Amino acid sequence: MGHLVPHAVVGVPLHGGDVRAPADVFNSIFEVFLVLGTAVGVLVVTYTLYHAIKYRETAGEDPYADKVERPSMGEMPTGGSGGRKVFYSFGISAIIVVSLIAWTYSSLAYVEDGPTIEGEEDITVQVEGFRFGWAFIYPNGHETSTLKVPRNRVVRLEVTSRDVFHNFGIPELRVKTDAIPGQTTDAWFTTSETGTYQAKCYELCGSGHSVMVSPVEVLPQDEYQSWYAGTNGTENGSSNQTAASVGGAPA
Amino acid sequence: MSDAHDHGLPPKSSVSRWFLTTNHKDIGVLYLITALFFLVFGGLLALLFRLELITPGADLLGSLGYNQAVSTHGLLMVFWFISPFAFGFANYVVPLQIGADDLAFPRLNALSYWLYLFSGVLMGVSFFQGTTFAGGWTMYAPLNTPAYIPGEGLGATSVVLALIMFTAAVTLGSVNFLTTMYRMRAEGLRMRDIPIFSLSINLTVWMMLFAFAALLAALMILASDHILGTTYFQFANDGSTLATDADNPGASLLWAHLFWFFGHPEVYIVFFPALGVMAECFQTFTGRRLVGRKWFIISMVLVAIQSFVVWMHHMFLTGINLPIKTIFMATTIGISLPFDLMVFSLIYTMAKGRVRFTTPFLFSLGALILFIVGGITGVFLGAIVLDYQFRGTYWVVAHFHYVMVSGATALFGGLYYWYPKITGKMYDETLGKIHFAVYFVGFNLLYFPMFVAWETPRRVFEYSRDLQIWHSMATVGGFILGASMLIMFYNLFVSLWRGEDAGDNPWDYATTAEWAVSSPPPLENFPGVPTYADGSLSFMDDAEVARRTSGSGGSGVAADGGTAADGGTASVTTAATATPASPAHETAGEEHASHASFWPFLVSLGGFVAFLGLSGVRTGSVVYVSMAAVGGLATFGALFGMTREPFHAPEMPIAERWPFDSVEKMKLGMWTFLASDIVLFGAFIGSYAFVRVAYGWSEWHHDLIPAEHVTMPGLINTYLLLTSSFLVVLAMVAAERESKKGTTAALAGTFALGVGFLVNKGLEWQHLFHIHTEMFPNGWNLSTNIASSTFYLTTGLHGAHVTIGLVICAYMTYRAWNGAYQGDDRAIEYFGLYWHFVDIVWLFLFPLFYIL
Repeated sequence: MGHLVPHAVVGVPLHGGDVRAPADVFNSIFEVFLVLGTAVGVLVVTYTLYHAIKYRETAGEDPYADKVERPSMGEMPTGGSGGRKVFYSFGISAIIVVSLIAWTYSSLAYVEDGPTIEGEEDITVQVEGFRFGWAFIYPNGHETSTLKVPRNRVVRLEVTSRDVFHNFGIPELRVKTDAIPGQTTDAWFTTSETGTYQAKCYELCGSGHSVMVSPVEVLPQDEYQSWYAGTNGTENGSSNQTAASVGGAPA
Repeated sequence: MSDAHDHGLPPKSSVSRWFLTTNHKDIGVLYLITALFFLVFGGLLALLFRLELITPGADLLGSLGYNQAVSTHGLLMVFWFISPFAFGFANYVVPLQIGADDLAFPRLNALSYWLYLFSGVLMGVSFFQGTTFAGGWTMYAPLNTPAYIPGEGLGATSVVLALIMFTAAVTLGSVNFLTTMYRMRAEGLRMRDIPIFSLSINLTVWMMLFAFAALLAALMILASDHILGTTYFQFANDGSTLATDADNPGASLLWAHLFWFFGHPEVYIVFFPALGVMAECFQTFTGRRLVGRKWFIISMVLVAIQSFVVWMHHMFLTGINLPIKTIFMATTIGISLPFDLMVFSLIYTMAKGRVRFTTPFLFSLGALILFIVGGITGVFLGAIVLDYQFRGTYWVVAHFHYVMVSGATALFGGLYYWYPKITGKMYDETLGKIHFAVYFVGFNLLYFPMFVAWETPRRVFEYSRDLQIWHSMATVGGFILGASMLIMFYNLFVSLWRGEDAGDNPWDYATTAEWAVSSPPPLENFPGVPTYADGSLSFMDDAEVARRTSGSGGSGVAADGGTAADGGTASVTTAATATPASPAHETAGEEHASHASFWPFLVSLGGFVAFLGLSGVRTGSVVYVSMAAVGGLATFGALFGMTREPFHAPEMPIAERWPFDSVEKMKLGMWTFLASDIVLFGAFIGSYAFVRVAYGWSEWHHDLIPAEHVTMPGLINTYLLLTSSFLVVLAMVAAERESKKGTTAALAGTFALGVGFLVNKGLEWQHLFHIHTEMFPNGWNLSTNIASSTFYLTTGLHGAHVTIGLVICAYMTYRAWNGAYQGDDRAIEYFGLYWHFVDIVWLFLFPLFYIL
């Protein structure tokens, strides 16, 4: 991505905010699942309770004595009648589950690779987790403990760890991936909302796990550019200091 | 030891009985009580960190204390509570349900229990070694290695060793249950005919046999990283933890793969027995046979098999590629569908029933409802796009508690269900119902808010203020849930005295054999040999059995499933004993079964001391080193004592044994054990291949292995082992020909060649440890790099197998010298199976570690 940096300083092509962000994909699917899941749950639980109550033992004769045979002591275990209904119900539930998952699968490829947008340039930031903080390394070599990105650009993350297994996630932006020592994983996000968000660790990594949080700032394009122009790739001492203070804070 | 009436077993009121007993019912009770103790232990830890979570921040436990509480709560509940609790019922009920008088290897069963108990004690001791394990129940690498464990980390090592001990207990138990269920079913009971609870246990132990072998490999490697200084799970590109500056990029993912290969089947291992209890209670308390029973069973079998190909759905964010993700998404959805069928099967079992809302049924019904919620929220996780965001959050926590604790709910139902059988007394029904009501409210108040607050990351004490109300609710729910258990403890304890007599069968429509005998059942379970030959349970008296088994009347034993029982079936039954190392003690005809042995307790006690010592040997402390030595010697001595002890566990004269009619008990046990050992070595070899590929297959050899590591010692050892295997065959031939000299000579030859193998290996290692080259100025030892770690540990595990084989071989040579095995070579055959297996493993290790 290094060769793109000069571009980025002079007016950068944006995607204009009409790109489907990972958060949109997640939220729309989650909503459908919540609605359907609640409906199915209520239905099945009600159906279960209905059976339990309707067929509760009542005083007097067994009302189904002529319809079903009651089990007797010492009999060889066998199945009861009524298997067909099991299959119908199973079939319906299988169709719901399989079609739901199949439907989400169409979004998976998109969430995996991200959009390719004519004329827009992605930003790639390396993320390195360590106990207990995050370091963000920009294409020019600048390292910081706050992730600053412009709105309306696709941000690509290459995530790894310097010590133990972490997991990098920005919950509001619905981006998450494992940070594994010795391996690099990819993730991407974009948003049209400026503001400050939080990056958190989602894999237990030691005593400071709970406070392994870094700020994420989504800036307007021009603000981001002026910030980025002011960064110097060779000087990254300040960020290391921040990192050390974050690392030392818990314990 | 052998008293004519009680078979050496003191009465139940005597404390010593509980240390001596090998009877499945006693051991079942011991399991239940011990598991409930660990429930309280794990539950109190949960209450501690729920208190911490009332408000954000670690103001109660401190950050490390919080991590310890969370981690040990998970480990205790998953390992030391729920499965052993289920196996309390399995021990008590399965032999009764299938018509056996005990498990196939009663002493091994006692050994399983004591190993379990002492593994839990070791877990408890870890709390007093500075800090206990704080790396999460999933024990992710490299957080679980000493480099990242605060302080000396001895407590963490103890926990790893405790888990190894637990796994040993599980493996012995699996071998025992499988052998029992395939060799000791009442006549006429095909595998598909055994009651659904027993069937669920059968599938559970199959999964255990393989899944826990993978876990054992992971734990042995981890323990070696802790104690011996190997570097499997360490990653360092700065040279701070590895002895060289070469790193190990596969470290983290290796653990994740090994752990989840075990971890996902473990979910079903935990849940299947609960499912069995639910099905059992539904049948009894609805007065209906399980609807779609055949498909219920097929579903369980499918799940059991498929459980081994879904593990990567725990790793969707680790950078695996899309095709593999897709495959694992498909298998995950595939494995959820059989559960749909099982749920509907239970629901329709109620139709046209006579549903009685007794306490066991309430718990079973409650478990079903909770499981439905757990299942639906699990489908969310099956959609990868959603899974990415749920990863590491309370959605996962809430989901798996709805599944796992719904399993526990069903098992509490099982406790009420079988309580009258076990104690002979009835519990208080009103208190039982109150318990259920409080429990169900507490459960949902505890876990449902977690779905609402799902944005909270797992295992943190800091969370956003606007979620606080939900976490506070959960904490209140946790205390209600905990309090409800007090009602149960009170009820069950007091009912031991005040309860009404339960009679043989307090439940209308119960059908299974445990309800056909007195409560509690007599020591040897049945008034005669049980049979289902004419379609329902009856008992054959001695005269009938004698008529059927005497003379050439083998045809009477013919199996129902169309398998012909040859004349051999009857003759096999006389001489088998439960002694693993020396299986062929001659027993004199119709001797009574033994029920008491002190050795299992002593073996486990020795193991406990040894493992506690091992946890601290790296400090060089005299106390720890001597504990390791004394404990090791005690274990070995107790095992030897157990081998020498005459112990008689007669096989049933008439039983259903498909598909193992012609495989004797000992041989089946040995084969089952070897099956799990194959997975153990498979996991070691797989680990080697995995870290090597992650490093770079060909760079590995160039970067990490000294030129002094040559092929010749390995080649010589290959020939030594192959020849020794051949000699075992000769020993069998000589024994058949009743040549005492030949048998002794062949066994002695085997021993000598095995010793040659070890000596040769020792020389090779000594040489490699002390090389001085430019690349490896300080020798090539266990902690030099990942290649040396894999080489020494994998071939070392094999060497340990050879050593154990040699101990047995030496013992057998001595016995052969004194005239044993003549005309009966079975003991040599069992040893041979093991020895050939060890030989075959070497044929894989040699090319992998010397040639490629």
